Amino acid sequence: MNWAGQTTRSPSAATENIYLPKVAVLDRVSDDIPEVKTFYWHFEDAAEQAKFKRFRPGQFAQVSLFGIGEFPASLPPSPTEDETFFTIRQVGSCTAALHQLKAGDRFAVRGPYGNGFSMEDYYGKNLVFVAGGIGLIPLRSCIVYALKHPDRYQRIQIFYGSKTPKELMYLPNLREWQQSVGVECYQTVDRAADSWSGNVGVVGSLFKKPGVQVPVDNTIAFVCGPPIMFRFVIKDLLAMGFREGDIVSTLERYMKCGVGKCGHCCIGVAYVCVDGPVFTYEQIKKLGEDI
Amino acid sequence: MKARMLDRDDVLKIVDLLRQQDYEVFAPFSGRGRDTWFDLVTDENRDRIQVHLPNPYYAPKRFLLPHIERLLKVRRSNGEIRIEPTYREPKRAIFGIRSCDLAGIWHLDRFYLGRDFRDVYYEKRRKNLFLANVVCTDPELDIGEECFCPCADTGPAARDYFDLQLMDLGDEFMAVAGTPAGEALFANPMFRKATEAQVEKRRAILGEVRKHFKTTTSWFPATVRYVSQGNILEKTWEEIGNRCLECGGCTYVCPACTCFTVSDRQVGPDEIERVRIWDACALSGFTRMAGGFNPRRAVHDRRNRRFFRKLAHYFIQRELSMACVGCGRCAAVCHGDVGMPSVVEMIRRATAANDKLEPV
Repeated sequence: MNWAGQTTRSPSAATENIYLPKVAVLDRVSDDIPEVKTFYWHFEDAAEQAKFKRFRPGQFAQVSLFGIGEFPASLPPSPTEDETFFTIRQVGSCTAALHQLKAGDRFAVRGPYGNGFSMEDYYGKNLVFVAGGIGLIPLRSCIVYALKHPDRYQRIQIFYGSKTPKELMYLPNLREWQQSVGVECYQTVDRAADSWSGNVGVVGSLFKKPGVQVPVDNTIAFVCGPPIMFRFVIKDLLAMGFREGDIVSTLERYMKCGVGKCGHCCIGVAYVCVDGPVFTYEQIKKLGEDI
Repeated sequence: MKARMLDRDDVLKIVDLLRQQDYEVFAPFSGRGRDTWFDLVTDENRDRIQVHLPNPYYAPKRFLLPHIERLLKVRRSNGEIRIEPTYREPKRAIFGIRSCDLAGIWHLDRFYLGRDFRDVYYEKRRKNLFLANVVCTDPELDIGEECFCPCADTGPAARDYFDLQLMDLGDEFMAVAGTPAGEALFANPMFRKATEAQVEKRRAILGEVRKHFKTTTSWFPATVRYVSQGNILEKTWEEIGNRCLECGGCTYVCPACTCFTVSDRQVGPDEIERVRIWDACALSGFTRMAGGFNPRRAVHDRRNRRFFRKLAHYFIQRELSMACVGCGRCAAVCHGDVGMPSVVEMIRRATAANDKLEPV
């Protein structure tokens, strides 16, 4: 968005139907953590799939379950990966219907929508990812993308916390990130059984661990997680010396259209669907609504 | 002179001309008292069209953005899904649309067609729409208690954006064309060239008409400034919110409101249709997310939203017009008296009273 208030974008020339979803086929489903599943899918139409694959990290798509409705879902895959998938927690009627689907079933998708992370603006910077619970879903795309282009970014750190070890998302990725050279990955859980050998505590407690040094200068911090975690992490980051404009997050709102028309996600001067979902903390503060 | 004159008795012949050109013509009719509405003109009801009448509460916006509009039809068979968009592309004319509602359509055009994404459903309905504007001149019939278009600078006579504008000069009517489609009607011999004296008479009548509006001091500029700068006290929003009954009426009658919700409904064993339905930011479900979290729980947060969206400078610049056209419908239907003119006044007074910058 142009915060000076000018409309800089020109309207799309071709008259395409912005509300028309395209049929998608579910390839397989993987159970991640309780109530959360990952759905691997592709468009029935190969041309559509190729067009869709040009999405940017941080964008989202509208998922249609006909007869139930449509909902916005973040895109956890990086455009550099082959497969397209959604990771969805079951919370409402649409997500419940999606959770019922089996491999081979059809649904529909349209998108990608939203601004996404401006990955080009982060060239030459350190990237610090702070995620809580399923807050890792929208950040995954950005992490995988950054690791795919190690020459473009400096240090990459991941701080990830969940309630219990059972609720850690994307375990294969976490293992990979912990072992790879180009990234420092720290994990924590709020509560743990004896079998857990890692850190116990909120995600912010990782910043103060011995051996952990968070770069502050020339760094972008990505924060995603439940509201309470978000508030505390922001406090920690600001205390460390991060500027509000260098802290980035993604917002979620009730949405119907995803293209700035239905009006549901409009907060302050921003439509979360077209001006977001990625905002800096500086912008979020100005929007003036609860996270 | 661009303007034309026509006899009083010939005004409805314009409706006939449009119908001969295959337009579905909608025009205003009246029942008893304040009961007025737009309806499809037929041979049977043609003579009952009203040129002067109180503007119907149900705005002609619905001819572009129907209350319920089907977007898609979806059929399922053998595990396959077939999605078919359903378009309506009628050739329609609205006869007797008031200047405020014309400004509403101007705003909708900016919103639905002028931004990143064009709305193809709106575009198709808009493409062949002919707008025959009637200027409000009758202080008894046309100008209602709540009308305040002079404050929103949209009326009583629209300056642009009509195909044809008609104005009652007493003994005869003046017609002005705004587009080639309107100009084409002037080929009919019932239109005569207007004289300078008649144009002068138009000016005189408009000057006089302006005196009949009850609300002429809705101070939008001050309120737009206060809203845009975030100077409005939480207390003021709460007072406005306390008076809101959350009926959504203001949004349903508003010619410039754009929000809709989308819903799927089963229409056959293997067939569903996806429709969009007008939605209202006053309703608590408007922002409630799956899982129950609602960022706008308090009524006043939702009222705040409506007026912020309509009055903030950022959006005025984005759509090139304020999302209020001064029709006064919200003021007429609101049970809590928090229609636009009252809110503008409440905000201006409360904020000015709080202003510590008095220079004395």
